[in-house]
Formats: sequence, C-alpha cells, structure tokens
Amino acid sequence: MNPRKPILWVHEEALGPANPALQDYPKAPGLFVFDDAWIQDQSISRKRIGFLYESALSLPLTLRRGDVATEVLRFAQRHEADAVISSTAVDPRLQRIAAAIDRDLPLWMLDPDPFVELAKSPRLGRFSRYWREAEPVVWEGF
Amino acid sequence: MSRLPHAAPLSWPSESTDLPRDLPERKALNSLLAQEFPNASGELSPIAGGRAAAEQQLNGMDAKRYGRSRNHLNGSVTRLSPYIRHGILTLGEVRDAVFSQLKQNNQGRDEGGKLINELGWRDFWQRMWLDLGDRIHDDQEDHKTGYASSDYQQDLPNDIREGRTQLACMDGFRNELVTHGWLHNHARMWMAAYLVHWRRVHWRAGADWFLEHLLDGDPASNHLSWQWVASSFSHKPYFFNRQNLERYSNGRYCQECPSNESCPFDLSYEQLEQQLFKVQPAIREGTARRSSRSSSRSSQRPNSKPSTQRF
Repeated sequence: MNPRKPILWVHEEALGPANPALQDYPKAPGLFVFDDAWIQDQSISRKRIGFLYESALSLPLTLRRGDVATEVLRFAQRHEADAVISSTAVDPRLQRIAAAIDRDLPLWMLDPDPFVELAKSPRLGRFSRYWREAEPVVWEGF
Repeated sequence: MSRLPHAAPLSWPSESTDLPRDLPERKALNSLLAQEFPNASGELSPIAGGRAAAEQQLNGMDAKRYGRSRNHLNGSVTRLSPYIRHGILTLGEVRDAVFSQLKQNNQGRDEGGKLINELGWRDFWQRMWLDLGDRIHDDQEDHKTGYASSDYQQDLPNDIREGRTQLACMDGFRNELVTHGWLHNHARMWMAAYLVHWRRVHWRAGADWFLEHLLDGDPASNHLSWQWVASSFSHKPYFFNRQNLERYSNGRYCQECPSNESCPFDLSYEQLEQQLFKVQPAIREGTARRSSRSSSRSSQRPNSKPSTQRF
C-alpha cells in the first residue's frame, strides 16, 4: 500500500536534490536530525556538523538534534503521518536507526541511482577485481 | 565565506524547538553550534557545505589536468569528496559531468580515465562497506610487517594530535586536517604511513582521528585505506621516503622544517624497510599488482609508489 501522508527522513548520505525520497515526494515534510550519540561518541568536530548544517539548509528540511529514531517518529506524529520515506543507507548506524523507526511506523527506503549497474554482484576483496567488471560498463555511458 | 546557503523555504510550520534555519551568516552558525554541541571541537571549515558550493566545485573540475597532476599537493584535484560523501552530488552526476567535459573538449578515455577511476574507488568502498558492515572496524587480514596487531599502540600520541611532532610536513598536514577538514590524498597516505610504521600506532587510532575531522569522512574509504597503508588490507605495507614527499609537495615543508637535518624519512627504501619492518624479504618480493594506479613517471618502488590508494 502506498503511503497516503508520509514524512521524509533525510540522512547524512543523501543531502542533495538527487535524494529519491525528495524527488518522489516533493511536497512531504522532510526532516534531518543531528545524531547526538554519533557526534558525542565519535568526537565529531564542529567543522563536520557545520558542513552538514549548511548542506541540510539547502534543502526544504526541518532540522533537529537528538536521538534520530525518536525525533523522526515525533516529527511523523506532528504531521500525522502514516509512513516514513527515506533513501537506502550504506552505514550500518543508519540501517539500525531505520530498523528502529520501522518498528513503530512503516518505513520505505528508496534506492538512489547507482553509479554503475552490473548484471550480477561484482567480486570485491580488491579494487582491481571489481573494476575489471565495472569499468567497461561505466564507459558504455560515454 | 561568511554567507550561508540560501535556506530552502518550508511549506509546513516550524516549532520553537527546531534548530534555526534563518541564520544571518556563518558566524551565527558557528555560535549556534558552539552552544548546541559544546563538546564538538574547533571552528567551521572554510569549505562550505550545500549544493551551490558543490556545483561551484564541480564547475572547476578539469578531468585531463586531474589525470596529469593529481599526485602533487598543488595538483588539479577536484575536492569533491565532501559533497559526494554526503550525497550532495552523486557519483552519477560527477560521472556525467566528466563525460560532458570530455565530449565538449573533444577528449576521450585517455584524458578522463583517471578521474572516472577515482569515482570507481568511491563506489568500490561503498560496496565493501555494505558487504562488511561493522566489520570494517576490524583488521581485514594479518599485518605483513612482521608485527602483530597487538604490537601497535592503541592511542593516538598527543604530539600528533596537537601538531607538535617537529616534522613540518606532519604538523602541516595535521593543521590542515584540523582547520579545513580536508587533506590531499597523498598527505593522507604519508600521514597514515608515518603514524603506523614510524610511530607504530594502530591504524584504527589514526583512522578514528581522521573521522573526527574529515568532511568527507566515512569508515569505508577511510578505514580501508588506513588498512591498506598498514598492510591489513593489502599484500604489503605502504611507506615513503623524503625524496618522494619532497617531490610531490614541491619541497614546501622541508626547507623550514626544524628536523631538516634529522629527518626520519631521509633514507633509501632499502634502509627504511630494514628499520621499519621485521619481515623485509616478503615486502621486497611483493608483486606490483597495483602499479597500474601509480604514476608511470615515478621512479619509486612498487610498494611505495605515490597515490596507489585512495582515501
């Protein structure tokens, strides 16, 4: 079932206009949360927080700080939302936050456009193995 | 420099406890962050966030010049990494911008290959992170230095954190890291090698420190590159000597360095191998599998060629 009244959770990996959640739901209220625990535990410097702040300002997003899942759910409640839309995250920390949100409210994670689409998962381990498979496909677009 | 990005308007009401979006300038943002995050060290970076800044940086990209000069500290590097890391620009957008530029200038794969390759590295790191998850914080393999993981100091020495090593290069890199939140890839490699091999500090202490400061910091490219230098994600350790650093930094550090006459890097690669590692034969016999990523004009040895790895 498609969400009727969603909110958007924009995280640190997708602070640009190519974010698929922003593209697909341009009218939905969006939120970015500064993750207090991450900032504290990793001793994140003010430079990094400032860079995120400036980047988030460029997008139509409410800005908050705190526990991310709690803030997202509170924002959803504030807008009487029935779902949360976000973009797929690589960082396991963001995946854990996503799982916490999804326990209380349906969460849709949309895939951003890939850099290169490969028919099957490439062999990793060393860059050279991956690039042997990926490079010719990347250059097909030239 | 002092202006903030134009705040995109919201079509819903704000609450008084939301963080402000109507700050007049960067100075106000700096003060706000000092108040909201009192434990977060330092000041704002001169590198601005936001899409407009990202597009400006992208417009200055020169794929051909990048390919020729990227190993030099003053080379034509793109400085796009903070924007790519946070999805302000996607790898696809940068790839398409490179392709457009090549077509516009009647250039081809020879001119754009190096930069496209770099985008591939970023994609590779992200795929590795998806695959490894939290295991990215662990040694991927044994170290090939003759030392066990437990032989390395677990904490970052204070003289490095505070920029008091008396090595002008390392203190200079530290200062740039702490004030700008960005370092040239070659400087990252030299600093990592110094920390891990000369000071025998565990790569994780250095990698975590980098993540405190780097605007492009993510554990994928950062931790695995540190491990590549350390040799827990490669066949042999990466190290360098003074000749290499002096060449690619145009000697900007050495002349004024208080350790100019006692430089710990001023040795041949053979001497450094003897001094830094327990297991020299294995290192010397290492293959040159990564030589394709090295400057063809370099006269250095395979394990110490410049920029064979990207942070």
